[in-house]
Amino acid sequence: MKEPAIEQPQIAEPAPATPPPSQPDDKESREFLALLIGVAGWAVPGLGHALQKMWGRALAVFLAVGALVILGAGMRGNLFSSRGEDAFATLGYFADLGSGAFYLVARILETAGPDVSHSAGDYGTRFLATAGVLNLLSALHAYEAARGRKA
Amino acid sequence: MLMKQRAEGKPDAMHIPFTHLQALLLFALIISLAFGTLGRRKPVERIKYAAWSFCLFVIVGVAIGWLMYPFSH
Repeated sequence: MKEPAIEQPQIAEPAPATPPPSQPDDKESREFLALLIGVAGWAVPGLGHALQKMWGRALAVFLAVGALVILGAGMRGNLFSSRGEDAFATLGYFADLGSGAFYLVARILETAGPDVSHSAGDYGTRFLATAGVLNLLSALHAYEAARGRKA
Repeated sequence: MLMKQRAEGKPDAMHIPFTHLQALLLFALIISLAFGTLGRRKPVERIKYAAWSFCLFVIVGVAIGWLMYPFSH
């Protein structure tokens, strides 16, 4: 005698209310990509934003850092080297180095060397350091934006 | 060669002579524009934020200058 086939009730799966959590690999690759974008933003001012198609911010950062470096070098500000005599010189070197490729531009532009005996040279030193710190800030901004934080 | 030029002081080297006020205004302008662009999204908000930070830079800079004035005399 043939037994009647028992029909399994077909229950429609409810649609998930929230999207499934991203895979760990995706998260790691995204973190790595964000880190690369941050480093690119440091190396070339504005590149971190340009890679994320934030054209306005990329242009603003490039022009701001570039203008500060050119003006600072033109005012014969002190561009610190790695052979600093004290902690302040080392800090100044790290600040100057923050402008990435523009650090080399400043080195090329400042052929006559620094002259901080006048106020313009002293201001130039601040302009150069500010360019580096501003570029570090923008690279951090690009990194956070790449990680998906609100920026 | 670059080091030699630096030591001798190249005569046609770039030199931009700014007064104190010109340097302050230029610095405030560049940084304010960068802050406004980075810190806000909408164009109107960017302009407002840049104008606000420019005014604060100038006002605080001039105020600190006057605070230091007695020590220079």
